[in-house]
Amino acid sequence: MLQPPGHHRRSPYFVSGWLDFAVIGGLSIVVFLLLRLISNGGTRPEVVQAVAVTSIFVNYPHFSATVYRLYQNLDNVRQFPVTAIGVPLLMIAGVAASLWQPEWVAPYFVTLFLIWSPYHYSGQTIGITMLYARRSGFVVGPRQRIALSTFVYSTFILSFVSSRNDQPIIRYGVSIPVIHFPAWFGAILIATMCVGATVFLWFVFIWCRSQRSVPPLIILLPAVAQFVWFMPGRQTAMFYEFVPLFHSLQYLYIAWAMQIGLRLGQPAHGKAAGSVWQETFRWGVRNYIGGMLLFIALPWLLCWIDVPLLTSAGIIIAAVNIHHFFVDGVIWKLRDARETSPLMMSSVDWTPQRAPGMA
Amino acid sequence: MYAAAGRLVFALVLALACGGPALAQQLPKPLSDPPTGRETFLAVAIAAMMLCGLANFALFGRVSERTHVALAMLGALAGGFSLLVLFGGALYENPIAAVIGVLLLVGMFKFMSKFEAGRKPDRRP
Repeated sequence: MLQPPGHHRRSPYFVSGWLDFAVIGGLSIVVFLLLRLISNGGTRPEVVQAVAVTSIFVNYPHFSATVYRLYQNLDNVRQFPVTAIGVPLLMIAGVAASLWQPEWVAPYFVTLFLIWSPYHYSGQTIGITMLYARRSGFVVGPRQRIALSTFVYSTFILSFVSSRNDQPIIRYGVSIPVIHFPAWFGAILIATMCVGATVFLWFVFIWCRSQRSVPPLIILLPAVAQFVWFMPGRQTAMFYEFVPLFHSLQYLYIAWAMQIGLRLGQPAHGKAAGSVWQETFRWGVRNYIGGMLLFIALPWLLCWIDVPLLTSAGIIIAAVNIHHFFVDGVIWKLRDARETSPLMMSSVDWTPQRAPGMA
Repeated sequence: MYAAAGRLVFALVLALACGGPALAQQLPKPLSDPPTGRETFLAVAIAAMMLCGLANFALFGRVSERTHVALAMLGALAGGFSLLVLFGGALYENPIAAVIGVLLLVGMFKFMSKFEAGRKPDRRP
């Protein structure tokens, strides 16, 4: 029989310390250090290929996981009708306008997505920090959250300001001019980032002193990873290509834990241990197919339009991304009648527990 | 009833006050000329914002307050994107405009992060 969550000491990790550390940011930092060693300032075709291949298995399914969570039943759509119906309609209008005027609407549509993406990553960084803090019993009040947000959002804006490019960049077949910022803006942002980090670490220090213990370091890992992605990582073109992949990996891990918790982690579900693998396989295949439909099939549907396929695909990718930013804001707040939040569970809650004394 | 009539009169007075000077302006080209691409885009954006407003009106009393707020924010997003398309060129030409533009965009993203989930359903004052 499944043991109700809360009967054992809650682990801060979903599966294990090693796995959680790797997925939440440790792996990205290791890859950054390795690529930094072999980087010559530019990128290499094999790196671009590696990113493209891994995208199929990580990036695309991460979008599909969000879409599936919202649209899997009508009740979810009824809870958030504007996100589920209104936003897609607005995105269709945006795609139509971009395809109609690919020279002066499409660049702004793609720019909107390119600036919104790292903002979305920053939101996820804060969300994951809050999640692990809650799981660890580390209290993040409004002041601590402001300090953390100041640090995290500064790194994202700084990544634009410190860009060294002078030539327009071609993203998804759309030419996007480089934005030049005054030097003082970068200096202000660096100061803001340092203040945010110092204040947040000070709060951590105060907590350690009052509790006479050190919080699990995974609480700090998302913010450290974010710093690596957007500060030194931005200067290493070869690594920067991988940033969306690591963001998606974080996302998929938490979404997977949520899915397993929803399906198997409740005391009412008397599932066997093998069900975790079965549910993982079902969920993974579903998201893989959904990702292929969103990023391969959908752009192909527009191949009859008199716009280069790369450009039309870029416009579709921008629309899917912007839709994802909205959907992601609501799916974690979908009401569920179950008593325990799946995000507060661990692997021990998903598998049957043996009664004490059983061989 | 009186309140609605009062609001209508107020809107008419505002429209007359703003419309009068606008009509007095010399038009840059005859009204019969076909609209340019930018003008058509602007017209579509205005139509999208109008649709959001009309949907809000039509759904009054049938949907939650949260849905009304989300529809209003959708209209704001359509307007924000239109402004970006119309004046976004300044981002690339003027560094000060770039700072203001990026900060405004970040503000809009923050605003949109409160989209349908930012308020509790049916919250009453």
